[in-house]
Amino acid sequence: MKDVCIIGAGMHPWGKFPDKSFEELGIFAVREAFKDAGVEWKDIQFMACSSLTWEGMMGIVGGNSISDALGGRGIPVQNCHNACATSGSVLRACCQAVASGSADLALALGVDKSPGGFFPVVAPNPTDLDFRRLRAVGIPNPSYWALMLRRRMAEFGTTEVHLAKIKVKNSKHGVHNPNARFRREFTLEEVLASPMVTDPLRLYEICATGDGAAAVVVCSKDMARRLTNKPIIVAGCSLSSAMFGDPNIPIPRLSTTARPTAPALSESVSAAKLAYEEAGIGPGDVDFAELPDNSSWHELVYTEIAGFAKPGEAERLLDEGATSLGGRFPINPSGGSSSMGEAPGAQGLAMVCELVLQLRGQAGLRQVEGAKVGYSQVYGAQGCNSAVILKI
Amino acid sequence: MAEKRKVPASEGLFIWPSSVPGLMASRCVSCGTCYFPKTFTCQNPDCTKKNVEDIALKGRGKLWSYTIVHYQPPSPYISPGPFKPFYIGLVEFPEGIRILGQLTGTDNKDVTLDMDVELVIEKLYDDADGNEAVTWKFKVL
Repeated sequence: MKDVCIIGAGMHPWGKFPDKSFEELGIFAVREAFKDAGVEWKDIQFMACSSLTWEGMMGIVGGNSISDALGGRGIPVQNCHNACATSGSVLRACCQAVASGSADLALALGVDKSPGGFFPVVAPNPTDLDFRRLRAVGIPNPSYWALMLRRRMAEFGTTEVHLAKIKVKNSKHGVHNPNARFRREFTLEEVLASPMVTDPLRLYEICATGDGAAAVVVCSKDMARRLTNKPIIVAGCSLSSAMFGDPNIPIPRLSTTARPTAPALSESVSAAKLAYEEAGIGPGDVDFAELPDNSSWHELVYTEIAGFAKPGEAERLLDEGATSLGGRFPINPSGGSSSMGEAPGAQGLAMVCELVLQLRGQAGLRQVEGAKVGYSQVYGAQGCNSAVILKI
Repeated sequence: MAEKRKVPASEGLFIWPSSVPGLMASRCVSCGTCYFPKTFTCQNPDCTKKNVEDIALKGRGKLWSYTIVHYQPPSPYISPGPFKPFYIGLVEFPEGIRILGQLTGTDNKDVTLDMDVELVIEKLYDDADGNEAVTWKFKVL
């Protein structure tokens, strides 16, 4: 990514807002980002926005619904649905618009509203794989994770205490995040006592889902220097897809043909590699990270996928307190999805907003000391993935 | 009393009725990769010819992993009655494909990684017309 910066970031708090439309959530975040950047809607020349899954036709073209509400000006508005990588794709589109010179100022918006409980199928079509895996097998999303987790436990000795510790750690961070939905500390005992959902994952080890909106304003480095004294450089913003032979079954498939040439969560391994290559740095240069914790399994494996621990070592880092605030490599200082609740299409941009806040030294009680380089990555449920590296 | 009519819970996924249950799968004629459900093309990027043929996956596999589902999954899952936790397994066939399915025969048995399981067709629920809806499962041996 050539010389692209973020000059403004804004969020609507994460939670459940049945009385607010997705447009209201989105515009709140956009206005916060504009205030932060010192720009107006009339300055924006390109907009990319998440396409929402569960808000009907107006949600599918969410960017247009929101740009119309901001005031239709005829600028290019790109809607994107890329599952968990929606936000990353939206940010990448903005970065590319700026880097190509086709826009001086771009707006990246992620907004989502989740139905309660397990995600429902999108279309009641009996031949759709999503329909079939529920009707013919009865496998909900967290069970896909539990299957991989059981193998990990057998291979690396992960214990139920490790799973609970991830929740405890992130809940402690989330206490200090005013945008998080859940802001209390959980104890090890209560996490271990929470009901089993899909063995070995317990209720408090699986994040809730909800609503949220996050926006960033993107421009060239030259323009950023004129507009702000704290530009955040987009060092890397990758997008990737799964490789043939990946042993990890992507939701909602029924099978996989594993090949030794393809790593598990291949789309995530690729996204990490591409982001580091683009940034010209390695995991050792990163100071902190926002990683998926849709379940405790996620944070363990993504610690390794992002290169912050060798395979099988994530548990040791957790035990040492290295990934807690105050430790040598904080993971999820925001409190993670487990504190925020997951708003899938917007989560990646929430992570980016956290990175921005931390790099500016504005994270208050959850500040990572001396943060200069931050890394964020989403989960790749359907094989879509994105990783973002920001630096000052 | 007449026996209930059996219908597949989902069409086109397993051979029904049959004396030996089989999953309806595809295999690439060139590279041998198997796919389930059936596919119209080989999905191996290194395979030059993409012709696939129909095959049936039958018999035994190894339990690559498993979990126990404790909360009723969302629609269109249909519970056979008041919800009871059930096992889901990921089973590796000798053809080199791993397939999801419920486990059966787990009562009073130790379920362990890499144990042998066998493909069976079994009742899933009673449908609105009073038929018995069946699906494939893996029986613990």
